[in-house]
Amino acid sequence: MVDFVGKDILRVDAFDKALGSILYGPDQNIEGALWLLAKRSPYPHARILSIDTSQAETIDGVVRIFTAADIPGENSFGIIPVTKDQTLLAKDKVRYIGDAVALVAAYDLKSAKEAVDKIKVNYEELPAIYDPEESLKKGRILIHEKGNLLCSSRIIKGDIEKGFSNADIIIEREYRTSRLEHLSLEPEGGIGYFEDGRIVIIASTQNPHYDRDDVARLLGLSPDKVRVIQCGTGGGFGGKLDISVQGFIGLAVYHLKRAVRMVYSREESFLTTAKRHPLIMRYKTGAKKDGKLTAVKVDIIGDTGAYASYGLAVIMRATVHATGPYEVENVYVDGKMAYTNLPWCGAMRGFGVPQIAFAHESQMDILAHELNIDPIDIRLINAFKKGSVTATGQRLDHSVGIKESLYKIKEIRDKYSWSKKKGERLGTYIGVGVGSMWYGIGNTGVPNPSTAQVELLPDGSAILYTGAAEIGQGSDTILLQIASQRLGIAIDRIKLVRGDTLYTTNAGATSASRQTYISGNAVMDSIDHLEDILKAEASEQMDLPSSELIVKDGKIFSIKDSSKSIDIFELVKICNKNKVRVIGEGRFDPPTIKLDPETGQGVPYATYAFASQVSRVEVDTFTGFIKVLNSASAHDVGKAINPKMVKGQITSGVAMGIGMALMEEFVPNKTKSLKDYYIPTSMDMPEIIPIIVEDKEPTGPFGAKGVGEPALIPTAPAIINGIYDAVGVRITHLPANLERVIGELLKKEGA
Amino acid sequence: MKGMKKELITLRVNNEDYEIFTYPNKTLLEVLREDLMLTGTKEGCSEGACGTCTVLMDGKPIRSCLMLAVEAQGKDITTIEGLSEDDELHPIQKNFIEQGAIQCGFCTPGMILTAKALLDENPRPTEDDIKVAISGNVCRCTGYAKIVKAIKESSK
Repeated sequence: MVDFVGKDILRVDAFDKALGSILYGPDQNIEGALWLLAKRSPYPHARILSIDTSQAETIDGVVRIFTAADIPGENSFGIIPVTKDQTLLAKDKVRYIGDAVALVAAYDLKSAKEAVDKIKVNYEELPAIYDPEESLKKGRILIHEKGNLLCSSRIIKGDIEKGFSNADIIIEREYRTSRLEHLSLEPEGGIGYFEDGRIVIIASTQNPHYDRDDVARLLGLSPDKVRVIQCGTGGGFGGKLDISVQGFIGLAVYHLKRAVRMVYSREESFLTTAKRHPLIMRYKTGAKKDGKLTAVKVDIIGDTGAYASYGLAVIMRATVHATGPYEVENVYVDGKMAYTNLPWCGAMRGFGVPQIAFAHESQMDILAHELNIDPIDIRLINAFKKGSVTATGQRLDHSVGIKESLYKIKEIRDKYSWSKKKGERLGTYIGVGVGSMWYGIGNTGVPNPSTAQVELLPDGSAILYTGAAEIGQGSDTILLQIASQRLGIAIDRIKLVRGDTLYTTNAGATSASRQTYISGNAVMDSIDHLEDILKAEASEQMDLPSSELIVKDGKIFSIKDSSKSIDIFELVKICNKNKVRVIGEGRFDPPTIKLDPETGQGVPYATYAFASQVSRVEVDTFTGFIKVLNSASAHDVGKAINPKMVKGQITSGVAMGIGMALMEEFVPNKTKSLKDYYIPTSMDMPEIIPIIVEDKEPTGPFGAKGVGEPALIPTAPAIINGIYDAVGVRITHLPANLERVIGELLKKEGA
Repeated sequence: MKGMKKELITLRVNNEDYEIFTYPNKTLLEVLREDLMLTGTKEGCSEGACGTCTVLMDGKPIRSCLMLAVEAQGKDITTIEGLSEDDELHPIQKNFIEQGAIQCGFCTPGMILTAKALLDENPRPTEDDIKVAISGNVCRCTGYAKIVKAIKESSK
């Protein structure tokens, strides 16, 4: 009997990582590989009149310079099929500082840099737009021909006016968040070469099959002519979902048929990869005196920057989650995503939910203070329970652990008597804040299947084939644990083949906290099919109908007579002798219903994760410095396949949440290195108590849901609410950096 | 490269002597990664801010992206590849694995070498000592708690 689910199995990739032997994108090298470097736009918005590469081509070491004219296929890419608006190399115009206009291939990086400087691009500057609300005003210059509105999303439930007329109290506030950088420590990088009539690209990525398809599209090839292999990926957080080096590598290999490599500098990574969308969120929340919510009206304007990337997904997710994990009868949410001439925004851990949770949780905190209700109690009064109906009209029938998560953090808060008090040093005050969240697992109201295969080998081992990218979150280990438990074979007897488009099938992106639930289920399904194959063979061998057979402990038994059995690996040997591979094909697509375009009604996700966090913060009123002292986060993950790794994710999310709450802000035209973009270090970390809540999801593998993004989401609200508790100022624009905190403190004093 | 000549430099890395014919303006990091193929040492920011390029020089942690290779001549350099002996993991590596201190793994080599330098100097560090020691090595994945715990375990 094997027991691998619910156990702290050591990560299968940790050994190579501890040794430093795993190869990440920038580590990929082939003797003689050419270096690639892009020439990029210095203007936020300009028409390209001409590009002259003649002088650059004469530089020693330069092999070839590519422009848009060299792109044989569709010069447009983007992760969402209906919004592929980004050019690999700009054709007519550039839309942000950093848009690529040409690509140099050279024997060494220094020659490539020299050539990039010598490429002459003649631009006609155009007026640029830096504000999403400006962008949507009539008569503004168009950033894209179709207009400056990328997309909109609306959720309507009940009667919003009636909801407000029934309210005893109405709170109206505006919240803003900043552009954020993922700052995976590994910069984007990879290598490519030509082999067996195919373009092979080895790169760090969150989504090898999407990469393959979009590179093939750029090159006008069928997808089977491109092979993408995911190498060691040093963090993603959404930033490696869009293609970066892959397109350039593909283009160069297409023309040169030789090995090339490309690695982004940190500055290039800052300037030219996706960012988190800054959102402006205007909330109007109505409640009864007893704290019960009656209406929530939200207006969201997002800035997607120059290109669409995941903008559509972010605005949909933000609108769907705008109520927070609470029952609200009357809801009206309107979201718009606008183009600007700023660096483009895409997916970043949570897809708009960390932003919207900051807003809805600030509203809940204001209500709690105004109505003099404990902040945890006001959440308990409103929290979803089994049978609750969401703003999109979805009935939550199972695995709704929000209340349990609130009870858990209440226990911790009360056990340690965390409460408002003066700090030890003069001018410091301590406060306690609460944040809750919900998060739909998988993509919003669209099919997002995963596939997998499991094969048995005659030597008693197995192979798991998955396209699911391991980016540090741990899917390799989790999927192996699931396969191991379901197969009844020890984890070290299962080989993993992962993230190679030649040998694995599409698992969808490592995003939306979806791989445990969706790819985990695909693995379960593949083993179901594997057992069907075994039963069919056993039926012949044992001369019994398949329906009378069961698989248990590595054997197939007759239901009627348990003395009749056959070892599954004996069956594998027989099958293999007959040239039949024992391989089960698995697939899972979470059941969802597309949202109605007018009302947003539908079933956006098959299941949701829930979480609550309480954080204790110290505010220094002389400097504006906030120190997070303690934090307890309770996450309903359905079932923790690997509790230690779940706790690792929770701690990880708290760290990133501290960055979002207190220090991280990408300032266009200024931020280009770690010297002007601060992320939390070991010194910024509080004591963290990670708590696992397991309200099993019946459709999940062993009851599991997901935790990757949820881990981050409640942190910023808990900290911001803690600041209010400590000193009575409410930060409505993230991050709560020194200047903003001091500014608000001075305003309060002035008042 | 115009106006610059390659020079022969000698480096002692992981107890082996290397003679490398390279440009004098190359950083130690570039020579380790590109000439010696020791890619366990990472390049995260190229300006000494992230700590992923940390190696030990005469036992002290340094940023190999901020030092020219020629300056490292005559010194003992240890990279992550030199930490384990005959495939036997160093106790710090073992503890990083067992405590779950590794997620994406990109900060791991620099973090482990910084930990080694700390423990060599201060075999019984407090949790605060550890936090201070690794404060120049950023990690975007773990939230540091398990890294601190792994280093603490290694001090026992």
